[in-house]
Amino acid sequence: MLKRLLEYVGFEPGRFQARWISGSEGAKFTTTIKDMTEKIKSLGPNKKMRDDIV
Amino acid sequence: MEARVVNKGQLPELLDKLAKDYDLIAPVQEETVVLFRKISGAADAFLEYTNSDVSPKGCFLPQNEKTFNYTYTGDSIEINKPEGAQKAVLFGARPCDIKAITTLDPVFEGEKFGDEYYSGKRENTVIIGLSCTKVLSTCFCYAFEGGPCDGTGSDLLFTEIGDKYYVEVNTEKGKALADAYSQIFSSQGAEQLAKDKEELAKKLAGEFVRKVDLTGVKELLDNNFELPYWNGDDQKKCLGCGTCTYVCPTCHCFDIFDYPTGDFTGARLRCWDSCMYPEYTLMAGGHNPRPTRKERVRNRFMHKLKYHLDRYNMVGCVGCGRCVRKCPVNIDITKIINDLKEVAQNA
Amino acid sequence: MMDVIQQLREQAKKLLEEKKVTLVIGFGQGTELARTTPVFIDSPEGVSALTWGPFCANNLAKYLTDYKNAEGNVAVVVKGCDARSVIRLLDDNQISRDKVVVIGVPCPGQLEWQKVAAEVKPGASLKETADNGESFSVKTDAGDYSFNKKDYMLHRCLVCENPNPVISDITIGKELPVKTYEERFAEVSELEQKSTEDKSAYWDKQFSRCLRCYACRNVCSVCTCQICVFDQMLPMWVSKRTNLSENTMFHITRAFHVAGRCVDCGECDRVCPMDIPLRKLNQKIHKDLGDLFDSPTPGSKPGIPSALGEFSPGDPEEFM
Repeated sequence: MLKRLLEYVGFEPGRFQARWISGSEGAKFTTTIKDMTEKIKSLGPNKKMRDDIV
Repeated sequence: MEARVVNKGQLPELLDKLAKDYDLIAPVQEETVVLFRKISGAADAFLEYTNSDVSPKGCFLPQNEKTFNYTYTGDSIEINKPEGAQKAVLFGARPCDIKAITTLDPVFEGEKFGDEYYSGKRENTVIIGLSCTKVLSTCFCYAFEGGPCDGTGSDLLFTEIGDKYYVEVNTEKGKALADAYSQIFSSQGAEQLAKDKEELAKKLAGEFVRKVDLTGVKELLDNNFELPYWNGDDQKKCLGCGTCTYVCPTCHCFDIFDYPTGDFTGARLRCWDSCMYPEYTLMAGGHNPRPTRKERVRNRFMHKLKYHLDRYNMVGCVGCGRCVRKCPVNIDITKIINDLKEVAQNA
Repeated sequence: MMDVIQQLREQAKKLLEEKKVTLVIGFGQGTELARTTPVFIDSPEGVSALTWGPFCANNLAKYLTDYKNAEGNVAVVVKGCDARSVIRLLDDNQISRDKVVVIGVPCPGQLEWQKVAAEVKPGASLKETADNGESFSVKTDAGDYSFNKKDYMLHRCLVCENPNPVISDITIGKELPVKTYEERFAEVSELEQKSTEDKSAYWDKQFSRCLRCYACRNVCSVCTCQICVFDQMLPMWVSKRTNLSENTMFHITRAFHVAGRCVDCGECDRVCPMDIPLRKLNQKIHKDLGDLFDSPTPGSKPGIPSALGEFSPGDPEEFM
């Protein structure tokens, strides 16, 4: 639900992901993080809700 | 008092010039809301409004003000204040809002303590007011010694009369600006327009529908901090949101806090706060002198009708009517004033 | 609507005289012709302050939690949408059922007071209102007016799901026909279809106007936290700064905090002094609740399990 709401407000799809990974699913954890990192890198810097204080 | 005339047709030219030479702040329309923003030219200005939704007090007391950046260098703290105020022109503020700014002056430019952030903006800004041409059902500036065409506090006051503006030059600052753009501020024809302006003022004075009578109210509040009246419906229906305080042109409460941007750096910010919030008077030890809505509602109206007068000999309310329009539950200061007047009479 | 007003006053008087309640919360005439204000009546003589009409936009269920520990019971006048709040509050155990007497009034819609005020002679007093199907007639001492519902009603009333209160101890007025709408979430769908940049630009424009007055939060009948996350100073989740980032954070967080409990009463949208279309945010959540969990609008029936408060094995599991 949160993912959909964030996308509705203008976050790029893929920037926020939620996964359920138990402590014993090490391999799943690794692949998820790797995929997520690649995805984020391809999206580039996030422009929404940046802290703009100078 | 000096006066000038500006052709309506030349106003866009004037605004464009002002936008180039100054930070020009004028009313703009964003969807259905009118507020004051810095504009880059006449095309952005929106002048067909009775009054804006948020007052122009933000020109002098911005909702968010950075007072300085700090860096902890190991053995000392370096403070970096932001650049001083730029030369600015506030165009299009209504007489009630300009009067409200003058009520903020003694708060921030007191004898003992001055606020350089406020003063800097105040000194460097020329206020060009715009008389009203219409009175809303929620307006009541007359009750607080104001009027729809009252130039008090403005450097220049524009009043629209036919296809011209009658311009009153009220201060040296105003005169300097009018002289600097003398090709737009003409000296001819001012006398006739002066009479027209008076007629307009009289006409508008007859259009107020809210009857507000302050007789006896101040004395009642001076002598009675506890009144059964404050236990009534207002404090029950008040939601405790900050709407009235944020749209009010005379409200000036603020919160100061430090905002870290790293382990050793950050900024100190001064932002608007509202006395209607419960944590506004919450003390570090947990005590809260205004623990319930009753105390907070009472405080708001005591401030507007008494405390500001006591402290600075100036009205605390200018009758702009924004709180009346925006309050979600129709708490109405004019009703409260009239109720208090009755309480005073029956006492 | 005069007969509704009369019955309302009679019933309220009876409740107070028979000491079934110690307080009646209802609508009273406001300080503008087209406005009402919440009234709190604790004596039988005071019931003459009660009124009803197309200017009763407030959701009075908001005040129930103020009286949950008060002596005696409380009666509250509710419209259809407000009644959903009552159910939600009861389901959340925010107030016990035996403490509340619900006076339900079927509602044909509410008018936007600013639009009405712009047409009516300033200073006029209200005499009478009536529902004429496609419009409301408003009689004043300065003339009679008619306002067609399509153009003058609150936005939220145009897609009203529950004109008849879904919970009511005393119902006053005739039951109204329930309409169904094919495109209930038309505005949400329209926005969903825009590109990410357009969606972002749209909401940035809206949120940059936000004053963080918290009127939306304070008027919300299901925002019942004793200490709101946005009021906490340690840790400071949001400061008092009103920049775009913090404003966006506030709105997304609040929408999500009430997700599954928000009853779509639309008060947040109505009270915003900066005309931010907040309902479009909460409606997105309602649409998703329907799509993902087949959940109807919270509060539209008593005892609906809270979609986000309960788990069933059939729930979608996109995150597994």
